[in-house]
Amino acid sequence: MAKAPKLVSNPQIVTANDLASGDVVYLTKVNSWTRAIEQAAIAPSLEHSAALLAEAEAQARRNIVVAPYAVPVTLETGNPLPVQFRERIRAAGPTAGIGAGPGE
Amino acid sequence: MPLIKNGEVVPEDWGYLSDEAPLPSTGAVFVSLARWQAERDTLRGRNQPIGVVLPNDADPKAIADDLPHLSAIALVFPKYTDGRAYSQARLLRERYGFSGQLRATGNVLRDQLLFMHRSGFDAYEIARPDAAEVFRAALAEMTLFHQPTGDGRATILQQRLARRLDNRSAA
Amino acid sequence: MYAYDDFDTQLVAERVAQFRGQVARRISGELSEDEFKPLRLQNGLYLQLHAYMLRVAIPYGTVSSTQMRQLGVIARRFDRGWGHFTTRQNIQFNWIKLEQAPDALAVLAEVGLHANQTSGNCIRNTTSDQFAGVAADEIEDPRVWCEIIRQWSTFHPEFAFLPRKFKIAVTGSPNDRAAVRVHDIGLRMVKNAQDEVGFEVIVGGGMGRTPIIGKTLRKFLPKQHLLSYLEAALRVYNRYGRRDNIYKARIKILVQELGIEAYRREVEEEWAAIKDGDLRLPAEAIAQIAAHFAPPHYPERPTRPAAFLEALRGNIDFARWHARNVAKHKQPGYAIVTISLKSEGQPPGDATAEQMDAVADLAERFSLGEIRVTHEQNLVLPHVAVADLPEVWRGLAAHGLASANIGLISDIIACPGLDYCALANARSIPLAQSIALRFNNWQRAERIGELKIKISGCINACGHHHVGHIGILGVDKAGQEFYQLTLGGSASDDAALGDLLGPSLDTEATVDAVDTLVETYLSLRQPEERFLDTYRRVGLAPFKEKVYAAH
Repeated sequence: MAKAPKLVSNPQIVTANDLASGDVVYLTKVNSWTRAIEQAAIAPSLEHSAALLAEAEAQARRNIVVAPYAVPVTLETGNPLPVQFRERIRAAGPTAGIGAGPGE
Repeated sequence: MPLIKNGEVVPEDWGYLSDEAPLPSTGAVFVSLARWQAERDTLRGRNQPIGVVLPNDADPKAIADDLPHLSAIALVFPKYTDGRAYSQARLLRERYGFSGQLRATGNVLRDQLLFMHRSGFDAYEIARPDAAEVFRAALAEMTLFHQPTGDGRATILQQRLARRLDNRSAA
Repeated sequence: MYAYDDFDTQLVAERVAQFRGQVARRISGELSEDEFKPLRLQNGLYLQLHAYMLRVAIPYGTVSSTQMRQLGVIARRFDRGWGHFTTRQNIQFNWIKLEQAPDALAVLAEVGLHANQTSGNCIRNTTSDQFAGVAADEIEDPRVWCEIIRQWSTFHPEFAFLPRKFKIAVTGSPNDRAAVRVHDIGLRMVKNAQDEVGFEVIVGGGMGRTPIIGKTLRKFLPKQHLLSYLEAALRVYNRYGRRDNIYKARIKILVQELGIEAYRREVEEEWAAIKDGDLRLPAEAIAQIAAHFAPPHYPERPTRPAAFLEALRGNIDFARWHARNVAKHKQPGYAIVTISLKSEGQPPGDATAEQMDAVADLAERFSLGEIRVTHEQNLVLPHVAVADLPEVWRGLAAHGLASANIGLISDIIACPGLDYCALANARSIPLAQSIALRFNNWQRAERIGELKIKISGCINACGHHHVGHIGILGVDKAGQEFYQLTLGGSASDDAALGDLLGPSLDTEATVDAVDTLVETYLSLRQPEERFLDTYRRVGLAPFKEKVYAAH
């Protein structure tokens, strides 16, 4: 896994995989999960993402999602865009080949 | 903690004795391997059931000569993903002929019970209230087996060869 | 081919039901993710970068037309219409839903396919020579032994929680196409002085973080003792292999730390106690399995049919494909066809459901209904009459499957990389595509000749980069994708690990570097030398100098 700098001062969103479908999901402001990254709840920094992460981990314990973690983003385009390359691919789908793009 | 033997929850009649505690005059007790090795002569002379907890990095050979004096051996799964005790169980049963209680202790979960049973365990400490139900369900999940393990189950190969023999004698 | 009897069928059905129960208990919350993860992995189900991925076993790489069509069904019904053939003769589906995984397994079970032990710390799918049973250079068909190992290793109760995964490969031919020296255990069928066939047992090979070429554990093992010997070798590993550090848990580290002599003593002592027990294989049991792999009946076909000769003379594309992708069959009048899954622009090893159907149809009409999967991520039609080659070629071309590049620079092995894999540091697929594009002039590719490029997106080395003639390893350098190059590796009978060329390069520079390496080779080579031969003769220095002089 990419060992990127911690990027503690970047805004953060929280991601996980939906348990039953495996889909990549993001935690929303109302503590639900969305497949659309632009609807993700945004914490202003890593420090402030603790509450989002705690909520996500609680939902993991309730078997709604699997393996939640915080993702540093930028907001330059208005919508959250992951800083790390890995997370951009995770959000947008494979970059090449038959499966390129977000799929269904 | 429920103890399962023969598919049923049975009363726990064994205690685990710490290395410092004096040996009680009555009752079945497990002692550590270290204590067994240090006090072997005294412990062998005890007229009450005695067992050993064998750590999973110990060689079963270390107690091979003691087996006639042991009523039970507890093998340890510190985590269910640590599979060393399966080999120890098979060696104790198949190599050294241990016929007493072989107990699975530690992180003993439903989905490993069948592997344990196949390897020679016959007693299980299962930390859940429905231990008997899950034990019976787990053992019923598979009915066919490839490996000869000394558990008495006929392997698929043995069944195939027997069937060919039947067909031949029928022909 | 091996055909399931009622025992096999029932066993797989019970396993599907068992896994269905485990999935239900996970979704209901009875099982935590920590408890469930090893269970799903032992059924080939990973959680990857985007979704769950299901890895289906293709035991020793042999698959029927019916089974291949069913893989297409899985792709369409449960995934997004394609699958990825891997370097371990498995196929991966990238978008399986956990709640549907049991249904997918039930569909696979209908045709005798499964995902048993395709992951997890257990004995994995046993791999073999893709030309098994048809190769002209073969001592015996290794698949008989792969199947015997498959059965013995399936749900082995003692070895379900080994220190780490355990991979076995078997070759029946002195020309090793199964990479047996880079497996946990490699088995080479050999003859002893009395002309009896048995096994040379090789242990402790592997790639990953600590690449090691395996060492010979036993020079000759009589066949009837194969399973008892494997059981002894595994038992020693299960008891003494390291469990304190995941990176030191493979058997190669145990063998390295104990030394091969000490490990051998332990195994031989254990084996002496069990060799004449229940695992000793009766001749009848071997014969029963071997009967499944008896050579098929080959109708007599002409060895030099006129239409075939005409096509060779008249059609340059066919002639090129024939020279590259068609190998000698042991039966006169027949040939072995390798189908490239490396057409330009395609991710190495990917096939769509339509392509799977097309291959299944062609195999049914022209290859006795049989297909092979290679560890180099291609497919094989093992029994094609020479007279049918032109029609087979046309059939393949209609589905984008007639690339004439087997063994050439564009026949690249690549793992899924960061496009799919949760472990990857860098992408593999786009790099493979860029290299293939750079060398898309076939005259140039032919002039370069045999050159095996292998790309891994991380140190776990699923793309076998250590044994590539040119190996490429993706690394993460301050959040950017970089690649390290190694030269001189080989997975064949002359197995070797590649040497590090120098500092890592970015994507574009990596493609340029491959170009420079190739040009350097062309300028240095002597007649008939492959890239690997030239490298072995001249060493790293001239290559290193050229690549880094430019930067």
